[in-house]
Amino acid sequence: MRRKVRQAIYDFHIRAFGEEMARVNFLPLAERRRYVAEMVDHAVRKGVKFDKPALGVTP
Amino acid sequence: MPLSYAELEQFYESLVARARRRGIACAITSGMACVAFGVAQATKDCDLLCAPDAAGKFLDLLGEASLHGQLPSYRGHLTPPLDARWMRGGWTSHFVWEAAGAEAYLDIFGVAPRSSSPWEAELHGFYAGPHTVAEMKRTNRDKDWPFVTALGAQMLAAQDARGWLHIYDENLLRTFGGASPAPAELLKRRPVLQLAVANDSRLRAALHAEVQFWHELDRARLHIYQKALRPYMLAVKKAGVPAGAALATQHEIRVRCAEKHLPTNPLHAYGVERMIAEAREALGEIVQLSTLAWLPDVREHFRVVTA
Repeated sequence: MRRKVRQAIYDFHIRAFGEEMARVNFLPLAERRRYVAEMVDHAVRKGVKFDKPALGVTP
Repeated sequence: MPLSYAELEQFYESLVARARRRGIACAITSGMACVAFGVAQATKDCDLLCAPDAAGKFLDLLGEASLHGQLPSYRGHLTPPLDARWMRGGWTSHFVWEAAGAEAYLDIFGVAPRSSSPWEAELHGFYAGPHTVAEMKRTNRDKDWPFVTALGAQMLAAQDARGWLHIYDENLLRTFGGASPAPAELLKRRPVLQLAVANDSRLRAALHAEVQFWHELDRARLHIYQKALRPYMLAVKKAGVPAGAALATQHEIRVRCAEKHLPTNPLHAYGVERMIAEAREALGEIVQLSTLAWLPDVREHFRVVTA
């Protein structure tokens, strides 16, 4: 049963975030952080803006 | 040269470490916390929870927190002052470091939106606990919901039964329901779990209604705050903070404007019961009415902010 639950969690990650991010989510913390850092830095180099509007109240 | 993500992450973590050394209770939350908890999110700005009583001390710390030689400023005309009075009432203060070609953004909350318990009670290193982060992610933005479920699944896998409160995926909920029963106390707190445990065919519609209910609650909450903010925003704009003014000067101007024009706790003034009733009414127009019977009692999620 534990294996079935683990598989269901992994399947959820694939459905929700896609195969690549599901793989990343199950990496050890240091590797996951490195992956996110590379992804964000690449996006910034390509001109992606990550800042959210400053509205005084946050969703 | 833009700031790298690793550099930013290190900067925010060191800010939290320095704040704690000064006795300030604070913790990183939202996207950066999700990465730490095993749900990667691409984000560059930092959301930080800070005990309202320590707002003054945190502002002093920010006044010395240089990044690439730059000190932070308040962001925009809408940002309330970092002051215990407004932080306790659910406002967010926004700051920016405008280093050449490299900006860093920091949003500071005193109260975690929708949190059913004080966030200070449960910290994981530099971060707020996953239970707090998952409650904060129940927003009106569709993109946040998979993170809520993923955090809930992590919590259940780590034997934290509160994870049951955060699973919004039908398949996953049925799988967990088939594997082990949810504690009776949680079945009462979140009625839709009774459908999951019984493998009831009404689960999907009830889950959909529950998610939409949180959407409507968040819409209503944001509307209340945004409406209360306008006179303050105009006052800050009129006050015309001089370019390059020290953070302490910017703060004084904002406090003066807020004391005259910004209610400290608009949600309390509006009434939580009234907001919930309006959210339910709006929900009745978009979901099957029979699903309303499975909605949770959400009042506990607004007790901290209206205490």
